[in-house]
Amino acid sequence: MSEATQLNGINLEKLREIVREVSANREKAEELNVWRARVRWLGGFRGRAYVRDHTFIIDEPSDLAGVDTAPNAVEYVLSALGGCLTVGFILNATKNNIRVDNLEVSLEGRIDNILTFLGLSDQGHPGYREITAKLYVSSPADPKTIQEIWRKTVETSPVGNTLARNVKIVPEVSIVDS
Amino acid sequence: MTEIFPTTVVGSMPRPAWLLTELKRKNKGEISYEEFSTIADEAVLLAVKYQEDAGIDIVTDGEQRRDNFYSFVADKLEGIKLMTVADVMDYVEDKSRYEQMLRALDVPAFAIKSPVAIGPVKRKRPIALDELMFLRKHTRRRIKIPLPGPYMLTRASWIDPVSRNAYWDREELAKEYVRLLRDEIIQLRDNGASFIQLDEPTLTEIVYGEASRQTFMCAAIFSKVDPKEELNFATELVNKTVKGITGVKLGVHVCRGNWSRREESLLRGDYSPLIPYFQDMKVDQLVLEFATQRAGDLSVFRDVSDVKELGLGVVNPRTSEVEREEQIISKVEEAIRYFDPSKIYLNPDCGFGTFAESPVNTATTAYQKLEAMVRAAEKLRAKYS
Repeated sequence: MSEATQLNGINLEKLREIVREVSANREKAEELNVWRARVRWLGGFRGRAYVRDHTFIIDEPSDLAGVDTAPNAVEYVLSALGGCLTVGFILNATKNNIRVDNLEVSLEGRIDNILTFLGLSDQGHPGYREITAKLYVSSPADPKTIQEIWRKTVETSPVGNTLARNVKIVPEVSIVDS
Repeated sequence: MTEIFPTTVVGSMPRPAWLLTELKRKNKGEISYEEFSTIADEAVLLAVKYQEDAGIDIVTDGEQRRDNFYSFVADKLEGIKLMTVADVMDYVEDKSRYEQMLRALDVPAFAIKSPVAIGPVKRKRPIALDELMFLRKHTRRRIKIPLPGPYMLTRASWIDPVSRNAYWDREELAKEYVRLLRDEIIQLRDNGASFIQLDEPTLTEIVYGEASRQTFMCAAIFSKVDPKEELNFATELVNKTVKGITGVKLGVHVCRGNWSRREESLLRGDYSPLIPYFQDMKVDQLVLEFATQRAGDLSVFRDVSDVKELGLGVVNPRTSEVEREEQIISKVEEAIRYFDPSKIYLNPDCGFGTFAESPVNTATTAYQKLEAMVRAAEKLRAKYS
């Protein structure tokens, strides 16, 4: 019987190749350690993000004086975590030869104290205090295996780790004549 | 002579596990509807056996061939596609309301499916005639056929802008359903159905649904509408569907959701806002839940004329404990204050397996509840005949 070449929409040979290359080539691994984005102000509370060959808008809802043309930055953080957990779950499931029929991650974050962002309070901080990420998944795998893959996914999530650990933010500024 | 207090069911019985496996295969396209239906024959025989053994007078096929009471039309009608909320969200603008609903129900967008009109809706197979013909071969009892009502179908399947590919507005789509359902009802009558029940559970949602859980069973979420206008629309559709049809008992079933055993997730409120519309509906019987306290009191029917018969919900399909006979008798005697005993039928509040994948009870408990209902009916007959 021939070996399957695709699982969960992932080309298995390509996945093996990437794993081989990254584990054998430190330079390649280092490349994957660095990610970049640029955000340009568009006026009001709107901004456009440029990421490799992609762009997307960041806005604020109208009740926060935005025009609500796009998600706001903290919503992108939640979506980034959801996206990361989705990719991580599929990666771990596929590596373990587990078929996933359907998957959704539903996220809800609670800001510690939004008033600090608005300069109206010194109490607490304006970041997320807690984020709930609930996985909905359809798969023939047994519940224990699913639980284990989900645990591993959260544990090894780059965005999850960014949020859960103290990431050092290096602020720089350059004043430019325009 | 027909005895008083006939017993019947609202429709569904829990499906055996092996049938659910085959249903999944059909939904994935691994087997055809016809192949699935042949397999489902065995499950129908079981559902009928349970009802006959319990002593039910008017039986259904337990809706064993249906994935739920309305989505099954996707197998029966051309122009209808089963879409998940995730599919629908790609098209609609008010995505945040869907998100609210998913959170309120604690379900993923891929889990809720609804039959959406994506093209001209035409009959591909009979909607329920095949169910009737099989039942006729295997039971001598009178047969009830539940059909999704015209309002329910319109509400579930009209998704703007997807449905605009084929219909100018939902009124135009509704006309199509009225025509299809009329044809089906006439064929069912001509082939020996005794009782045809139009399921219109979302009528309660119009008056009691909140924005956060506005669609308890469809992928379609309605914009805020005037409840009176909406109820008039629903009544008009029911009346157009049954207009002039005689020779078969016609009923309308209304409940408050039956997808969960968590009572707090289901709607609550009595029938009083619906009564004027019930009075206008040209049907023989209203099949209403009354075992659950969420349905309010029977006294809302005090001084109400024009309601011909009541299909009285006397057992709750969602509870594990089987109702005592005295409890059932007491509920019927309460109804006798407002309805002539000859006008009262006994039934559960709703189906035992409305949604194939999430039945609200086991077949064993369902059977015991039906038995209790039949025993209560026998005592009531002895007293009131």
